Amino acid sequence: MHPEYEYRYDGHQGKVPGAQTGIEIRKTICSICNPLSHCGVDAYVKDGVVVKVEGSKENPHSGGTLCSKGNANRQYIYHKDRIRTPLVRKGDRESGHFIPISWNDALDLIAKRFLKIKEESGPESVVFYAGFPKWMRPFLKRLAHSFGSPNYCTESSTCFRASFMGAALNYGAMGPGDVARSKCLLVWSSNPFYSNTNLARGILDARERGLKIIDVGPLITPLTAHADIHLRIRPGTSGALALSIANVIIEEGLYDHDFVQNYTLGFEEYREYVAQFTPGVAEEITGVPAAKIIEAARLYATTKPACMMTSASPTTHHTNGLQNHRAIVALVGLTGNYDVAGGNLVVPPAYLYQQSPGLVTREPEFEQSRKWEQMAPRIGQAQHPAWCRLVPEAQAMQLPFDIQSGKPYPIRAMLGFGLNYRMWPGQDFMEASLKKLDFLVDVDIFMTDTAKLADVVLPACTSFERSELKFYPQQYVIWTKPVIRPLWESRSDAEIIFDLARRLVPDDGLMQKGYEACIDWMLEPTKLTLEELKKHPAGYTVTGAKAPPFQKYKKNGFATPSKKMEFTSTILAETGYDPLPIYKEPKLSPRSAPEVAKEFPLILTTGSRLPMFIHSRTFRLDWTRSLRPDPLLDMNPKDAHERGIAQEDWVRLSTPRNSIKVKANLTEIVPPGVVSMYHDYPEASVNLLVEPDYRDPISGFPGFKSLLCEVKKLMEGNV
Amino acid sequence: MNTPQLGFSFDLSRCSGCMACMSACFDQNDMPGNGSTFRHVSRIETGTYPSVSIRYVSLACMHCGDAPCVAVCPNRALSKRPDNGIVEVNKDLCIGCHACATACPFGAPQFPEGSFMRKCDFCVARVTQGLEPACARTCPTKALGFGPIEKLTEDKAKAASVKIVSSFNPNLAALGVGLTKP
Repeated sequence: MHPEYEYRYDGHQGKVPGAQTGIEIRKTICSICNPLSHCGVDAYVKDGVVVKVEGSKENPHSGGTLCSKGNANRQYIYHKDRIRTPLVRKGDRESGHFIPISWNDALDLIAKRFLKIKEESGPESVVFYAGFPKWMRPFLKRLAHSFGSPNYCTESSTCFRASFMGAALNYGAMGPGDVARSKCLLVWSSNPFYSNTNLARGILDARERGLKIIDVGPLITPLTAHADIHLRIRPGTSGALALSIANVIIEEGLYDHDFVQNYTLGFEEYREYVAQFTPGVAEEITGVPAAKIIEAARLYATTKPACMMTSASPTTHHTNGLQNHRAIVALVGLTGNYDVAGGNLVVPPAYLYQQSPGLVTREPEFEQSRKWEQMAPRIGQAQHPAWCRLVPEAQAMQLPFDIQSGKPYPIRAMLGFGLNYRMWPGQDFMEASLKKLDFLVDVDIFMTDTAKLADVVLPACTSFERSELKFYPQQYVIWTKPVIRPLWESRSDAEIIFDLARRLVPDDGLMQKGYEACIDWMLEPTKLTLEELKKHPAGYTVTGAKAPPFQKYKKNGFATPSKKMEFTSTILAETGYDPLPIYKEPKLSPRSAPEVAKEFPLILTTGSRLPMFIHSRTFRLDWTRSLRPDPLLDMNPKDAHERGIAQEDWVRLSTPRNSIKVKANLTEIVPPGVVSMYHDYPEASVNLLVEPDYRDPISGFPGFKSLLCEVKKLMEGNV
Repeated sequence: MNTPQLGFSFDLSRCSGCMACMSACFDQNDMPGNGSTFRHVSRIETGTYPSVSIRYVSLACMHCGDAPCVAVCPNRALSKRPDNGIVEVNKDLCIGCHACATACPFGAPQFPEGSFMRKCDFCVARVTQGLEPACARTCPTKALGFGPIEKLTEDKAKAASVKIVSSFNPNLAALGVGLTKP
């Protein structure tokens, strides 16, 4: 615990702000989870210490609310595991022995090593990586490319980018559902109640106004109780269900004839392909009764307008995930719900993945300071060409393979922000690969297991201790001011990047002007300036920003090679894949691998969100950890009883690759035959069970959400 | 009943079991993070596959009208505030005997440091200053509310009335006319 924090306020006085208590409210944002939330925070500060947090009512997005993680911000900020000073490793990577070093010495050392490696093996030998949180990404990407390295990669190599690709291959771009104006919501494997609470609140409001809801997914989520229809698929079979829904819509003539005839490519091939996915066939594959498939198809196709909501990765964390996702999002165009009010809108992001209609920054131009053609091929270029056509990053899932093989060129050094090897399938392979690097730098808030492998560790501060730019969908924007000074010697990620830029990329004139000048440069098209934003510490709602019009494709076409919505993808054909959104079984499923299924008969799905955790980030906080203290495996009571397993028995969860010790949680959240395990538990990390190459060949995404496993009761520890 | 009584409202259909109410309470009350909690969230499952219903309930001290904890406390450490009906514990009088815990039907009394009883005090210091209880403020789905209980029941009746009218006039529902959340 930080010494400043030894002081504890007497809770019985209620922490009421005011002159009497000396508590002042300062405005910031929570950055524990992803940019679609980043809820506004009122930090209650007394004598320079945060004594309480609550949601900011000025923030129209979060409206004064916070989730179970956001309320635990104090334990996050003042955690004993925070890195206090820059550190340099002494001894080998296994020793975990570090000594403090000054900021100047640390930054000089990093620059010296990176520049030497650049000289010896080329700038591409240095990898720049951004994990969670995502806020430093624009600056890091620019630093990488100005340095000359194409190898800027992120945690998005397992998150969101494949769904983005699916939509981009079909349409060029597609936005989220316009729930507020919609009459029917098709939710495809998404649980916003645990991942995007502000969106969930809006869905409940719309439901009370009569919104129809179709819920697709193997698990029961808090949304399921609000659904008119729940299509409870076997994990990994989304594609077959989507193709069958298309089959019904086309057979019954419920599709949008005008859209299909005038604005699409490959409809005839698509129609022919989906013909085989009759509801009866789909029932056999997905486990969803044919009658329910028909009912859902009719409801979605005939209730206008209807919108679709997918999530960051549940549909794409499968070995056929990208094509499954293409089949899903094809339904939007097929039913004429593309870029219409109440359908799925196309609004370009304002900044850092968040939309703010009518406001668009120059973030992409800022980031891409050097063209791809002027750099070496990216990591993943050979293996995932479609990714490289659409995603302006390297594919980080390929990284450990390239480190190990040294091909097509040696990868020797890495600068990671929030790097966590547990994110990779077969995490031990990634861990071993990181150990092979000549020089590893990790910037993090806490001394993580990955940071312990680094040669130099730099302490980053939290969102409460820095200034950052944040846009929200309500055309509300905030430039935060630190509510407390950075603890110990920690610094803002941005400050670290710009300090490195001075040493690594002296020729990048814009970066040399510093952090705030770069923000102003990106803001230019919005007419906003930091000078103006600084006058509004509680944020600012932009007036006069005009949302883009609907059905822009009628005038501009689609941002695809054919300028049409592509049922048959030109890019996939050109990169050697099937242009149709074909269905394939997960590589490890009871149908595709019956021999494996004899010994491992259960389907393992991992990483489905829990409300108190976000990846690895809040396990170490007592307040969040106490809400689910043990590594629990969700298991249907039927499967448990067949194996003699009772609630909270210790069990061994095994795949052909490895096994972990977890506790059984008997629940109907999972259907019989399926078990669900949250990822990243430090003591029971489920990614150990997944092969490093168990991935979708097109997107490179791991098949985290459908593979085979078995669960056995452990005799020891259950007495 | 003429004495004013504050209470929580809870909308079963909106609770997602996210436990934000619990962590807001931890933060407000500097709870130790060892499992002690003034608020509990339960998952209630009924049925078996494929006909299953899963609901979540968030409960804290109900600040009962005729509170059994007040009645059983041997040292008169518990009392109801006359101005708002909140059940309060006087830690100087509490002897940590757990009698209140045995009498309470909701599991409200807690003994976080192993000695005196602590429980939800309705964030009384905040509420008397015009602020919300921490749990109701944070609730992401607005399942939790608070206020004088007469007002809470009135608001529920109003919302239900709109729903009834809406069933005869779907256009009203589509426009969301007059629907105010309790």
